[in-house]
Amino acid sequence: MLSLPVLAQVVVNGVNLGAIYILMALGFTMIFGIMRIVNFAHGAFAMLGGFALYFLLMDAHVPFLLALPLGALLVGAGSLLAERFVLRHLYHNELQGMIATLGLSMVMIYLAAIVFGVSQRSVPAVYSEIFFFGPLVVPMDRLVVLGIAAVTLLLFFLFMRYTKPGLAMRVAAQDLEVAEAQGINAAAHYQAAFFIASSLAALAGGLIGQLYALSPFMGATPLMKSFIVVILGGLGSIPGAALGGLLLGMAESSLTTFFGASTAQLASFGIVMLVLVLRPQGLFGHAERDS
Amino acid sequence: MTARPAMTAAAADNRGSRFSASHMSAVAVIVVMAAWPGAIASSESFLLYVGTLVVLYSVGAMSLHLVFRMGQVSFAHAAFLGIGGYTSALLLTGSGLSWPLAFCASGLVSGLFGLLLGPIVLRLRGVYFVLFTFILCEFAERVFTDWGSLTNGAGGVAGIPAPPAFSSPVSFYYLCLGVAVLCALICRGVLKSDVGEAIDAIRTSESLAESNGVPVFRIKVAIFAISCLLVGFQGALQASFVHYISPASYTFDESLRFVVMNVIGGMNSLWGPVLGSVFIIALPELLRNWVEYQWVLYGVVLVLAMRYLPGGLYELGERASALLRKGGA
Repeated sequence: MLSLPVLAQVVVNGVNLGAIYILMALGFTMIFGIMRIVNFAHGAFAMLGGFALYFLLMDAHVPFLLALPLGALLVGAGSLLAERFVLRHLYHNELQGMIATLGLSMVMIYLAAIVFGVSQRSVPAVYSEIFFFGPLVVPMDRLVVLGIAAVTLLLFFLFMRYTKPGLAMRVAAQDLEVAEAQGINAAAHYQAAFFIASSLAALAGGLIGQLYALSPFMGATPLMKSFIVVILGGLGSIPGAALGGLLLGMAESSLTTFFGASTAQLASFGIVMLVLVLRPQGLFGHAERDS
Repeated sequence: MTARPAMTAAAADNRGSRFSASHMSAVAVIVVMAAWPGAIASSESFLLYVGTLVVLYSVGAMSLHLVFRMGQVSFAHAAFLGIGGYTSALLLTGSGLSWPLAFCASGLVSGLFGLLLGPIVLRLRGVYFVLFTFILCEFAERVFTDWGSLTNGAGGVAGIPAPPAFSSPVSFYYLCLGVAVLCALICRGVLKSDVGEAIDAIRTSESLAESNGVPVFRIKVAIFAISCLLVGFQGALQASFVHYISPASYTFDESLRFVVMNVIGGMNSLWGPVLGSVFIIALPELLRNWVEYQWVLYGVVLVLAMRYLPGGLYELGERASALLRKGGA
């Protein structure tokens, strides 16, 4: 069973899953780091991203490679409404902010259920080719997912590392008071951060809708995975989210291959619990301050 | 994450007269709840059903209030509700144990799990505690589903009997009411005792409490275990009320419901979770005419409440009574 092709397959699947998890978790961890809000609506934005892609492809006949980013940006723009009317008043108020995002996510999910219906749909496969690299089987759509995720993540890291707004966001995440003392306009960066975070989630939602299925309730699982990823990586840590996502993807892929899906689920919960017990601040995070 | 004590000025002013007022409202609530079946007996069993649910959920919500008072928000309460539910359901249907014994066992087993898991969970604080308890809740649901040989998996356990002496809906309602009043007395006793003061100290500043000689960690674990014990009782009652349980009865939505009851009701008083359970159970029923939009409206109410009423319904009541007093004077 433990042969080279199997291992390679595990790696390919793991990296694929990991890429999607990273896309989800980055926005989640960013919103927490900058605004101190546990955004329970993050999964609902992913769901909207899935539907945006679906309608752009099916009704507007936009080509896939354009529809995917376009859908993500549309959802990101829509998320600014939620920022304006719900979240803006609750920044740095962890408990109330969390409950409000739960309410927000309910509104989004059940409105989607009314508008789109509850039946599952799927985004039709755009790429059906399958590649054989020696003994390795790689469907084209997985390669595309990987490519898109890689490009997005690269852009994201470049933005955060080398641009002024990116720097400002990192400063605001690290210490808000210092950021404001340096003349950083926090409100504007909150909006920008929320826009980016929701767009990333929507992009992940589109990819999930393509690889798996689309329904108003599809956001729950990716939300859960982002929780696990940020716990592994440390809340608020962007490199932590990247490493945590990859780790979770690989772990799930290998455990599923060797022990079956249900054991893999239990084991990944177990691993997270272990990490939390041994290193409560996550693998790469800082300890929560006593408030 | 700390639950902020947002005592209103009016509440602080009326500290002296509050105890008697609080006693009076407690008596009033119990009288109303006791008269509930009589008042509606002629009309519908549906209202009795809703009333029973309200009383049942107030048990779990009050038990979670204890954890809230320590400044922690737990999303794992559905797991302990489930442990209680499965314990009594399996004992009743499997071994034919008598109902009172199964009932006691359900609380004890759930409390024992709280005692075992508490030392692990309570090492975490703030958001990590929230996320971990969330994962714990999902984990428990998986175990209920996957451990088929014990729990019968996703099929659930059917035919859970009600206690023989309380088999009519009205008498079962009174049984639940009795348990809820007992639970309220226990919670109140804890909060009014020295331990209660220690809890408030822990919420305000854990390190300060620690340096003043409060055995912080031991108190936290003990309170957590008591909270799990109480919600376990709700699990047993609920299983006998519905006669059927499955992993789907103990999803994250249940945990969420307990948390929302506390937040909407108000976190600074034991009245909060009681008001919250009335509101949260009754609200979807009130919205029944707009079945389609029921959950959307529920979400809207949550968002609005967080924005305009961060102190919950309890604060609203306090504000109203302060206004009334001002008008009267």
